[in-house]
Amino acid sequence: MARYGMALDYKNCINCKACEVACKEENGVELGAEKHRIWVGGNNPDGQWPNLDIASAAFMPSQCQQCEDAPCQEVCPTHATYYDENRVVRVDAEKCILCSYCMNACPYDARYVDDRTMTIDKCTFCSDTRLARGETTTACQNTCPTKVRTFGDLDDPNSEISELLRTRDHFSLKAHLGTNPKLFYLT
Amino acid sequence: MKIGPLNIPIKEDFSLKSIFGFEKTPLNIFLAVSVLAMLVMFGIGVTTYLTYGHHAYGVTRQHPWGLLIAVYIFFVVSSTGFCIVGSLGDVFGFKRFEMISKRAIFGSIVTILSGFAVIAFEIGHPVTMLIYNVLTPGLTSAIWWMGTLYGLYLTFMIIEFYFLLNNDMKKAKIFGLTGLLVGLAAHSNLGGVFGFLNARTISNGVYYPTYFILTAFITGIYLSFIVMGFRYKLNFDEKVKDLLEGLAKIQGLLIAILFFFMSWKLLTDVYGGMPNRADVVHHMIHTAPFWAEVIFAMLIPFLVILKDFGKSPRLMVFASIIGMVGVFFMRYNLVHDTQVKPLQMMKITEYQLPPEWIEYFPSATEIMISLGGLGLCIALYYVGTKAFDLDESH
Repeated sequence: MARYGMALDYKNCINCKACEVACKEENGVELGAEKHRIWVGGNNPDGQWPNLDIASAAFMPSQCQQCEDAPCQEVCPTHATYYDENRVVRVDAEKCILCSYCMNACPYDARYVDDRTMTIDKCTFCSDTRLARGETTTACQNTCPTKVRTFGDLDDPNSEISELLRTRDHFSLKAHLGTNPKLFYLT
Repeated sequence: MKIGPLNIPIKEDFSLKSIFGFEKTPLNIFLAVSVLAMLVMFGIGVTTYLTYGHHAYGVTRQHPWGLLIAVYIFFVVSSTGFCIVGSLGDVFGFKRFEMISKRAIFGSIVTILSGFAVIAFEIGHPVTMLIYNVLTPGLTSAIWWMGTLYGLYLTFMIIEFYFLLNNDMKKAKIFGLTGLLVGLAAHSNLGGVFGFLNARTISNGVYYPTYFILTAFITGIYLSFIVMGFRYKLNFDEKVKDLLEGLAKIQGLLIAILFFFMSWKLLTDVYGGMPNRADVVHHMIHTAPFWAEVIFAMLIPFLVILKDFGKSPRLMVFASIIGMVGVFFMRYNLVHDTQVKPLQMMKITEYQLPPEWIEYFPSATEIMISLGGLGLCIALYYVGTKAFDLDESH
C-alpha cells in the first residue's frame, strides 16, 4: 500500500518526447495524436522578435494528475473509475459504459477513448505493466534523459519524491479546483 | 372501447387499417412521408454507428458530448414538461386543465422513450450500464441519479396512464404525484450533470438544475399547444380555448421568469469577469444558435402571448412550433457551450493547433439518429392517438 505521486522538474524538459514514446510502447497505447496518456505541452515564447522572452517558452510535461479528490471518479455512474490500493486513479474497462462524463469532468484533459475496447483510458502510473512486474519506476520516468520526473511513494518519508517535495518549492495545476493533484511541478 | 391485454381500454377500430387510414390531405401526407423518412434515417444512422462506433460522430477528445446528448436532453425535457402540464389537472386538481392530462401523460411517455432510443446510441455500452448501474452504483454521480430516477419516472408515468385510461382517478393521482416528484428530481439531476462540472466554469453551479425545471414547464406548454392544435385541427371549441388561454398565460409568466433568469446569468457571467465564464459568454453571444434560442424559444412566443394575453390559441400553436425549434437550440447551446473552452493544458503545438474555441459540428450520422428520434416520437404518439382515447373522460 502506497500513495504514489510524481514530481516534475519541468524546467529540465527538452521536449524530446521520449516519455510519450515510452508510455505508448510500454502500455500499448493506441497510435494517433488524440490517443495519448501523457504529453509535453509548450508555450510559444511571449513577445515580438527579437525581444522574445525565452523563459516563457518552458515545456510542461503533463498527464493525469492522479487527484486525491478526482472529479472523474466522483462523476462515474458505475464506479468504473476507482482508486486502486495505491491511490492511483484507474478505469475498470469492464464497468465503463462510455458515457464520457469523466472526460468532461476532468479539468486536465487527461482522458481519451480507447477505440479497441470502446472505453475510457488514462495514465495508470504503469500500474498494470511496470509496477505489476515489480519495477519501481514508470516508463516516462525511466526513459527521461534529463531526469524531469521522479515517481514514488508520498507516504514514505525516505522516498526521493518526499525528499524533493520537502526541499524544493512546487506547485500543482489548477489547484484552486480542490482536486488535490499528486503531480507536483518543482520550481 | 374494447378491453385489450392487461385490462387496457383500446379503441374499437384500432388496427393497421386505422393507422394508415388517415385523411389524405396534403399536410397529412407530407407529415406521414416525413416521419417515414425520419424512421429510415434512424435505421441508416444506427447501422452506421454500429459499424463505425463513435468515429461516425463528430465528437472528439476535446468535445466528447455532441448532438445526441443535446437531443436526449431535448426529449427528456419535453417529457418532464408534458408531465408537469398533465399533473396540473389530475394531480393538482385544476379542472380547467384536466382535459389535457391524459394526452400530456401519454406524450411524456413517448418523448422519454424517444430520448432513451437516442441516448442508447450515444452511450458506448448501454447494456453494461444497466448491469453496473445496479451492481456498483455511483451514488456521487449525477448521471447515475438522473438515469435511475428517469427509469423509475417512466414506470410511474406508464402506471399513471394506465389508471387514467381506466378512469381510476384516485390511483392516477397517487402515481401521478409520485411520478411528477421523481421526474422533477431526475430532471434537476440532469441539470446537475452540468452543474457539478467544476472543470467547466460556464456550467458549474446551481443555475442549470433549477433552470431545467423552468424550461421543462415552458417546453411542456409549447408541446401542449402543438398536440392540441393537431387534435382539434385548429378549430378549438370554447372549453379548449379556455384551457389554452390558461396555458398561454402561465407560459407568459414562465417566459418572463426565464428572461429574468437568463439576463442575470449572462450579466453575472460577463461582468463577474471570471475566467472561462466571462470569455465563454462573450463568445456565445456572438453565435447564431444563441440568438436562435433567444428569438425562437423566448421572444416570438412571448410577443404572441403579450399581443392579447393568450387569447390567440391558433397563433400560439404556430408560435409553439417556433418555440420548440428554439428549445432545440437551447439544448444544443447548453451542451456545446459547456465544452467550447479548451482546458488549457498547454497542448499547443503538437496535439492541437492553438484553439481559442473548440469547434464541433454534428456528423450526418448524428443528424440522422436525431431526426430519427423525432420521427419515432411522432410515430409513437400518432399510434397512441389511434389506439387510446386521449380525450378527457366523462
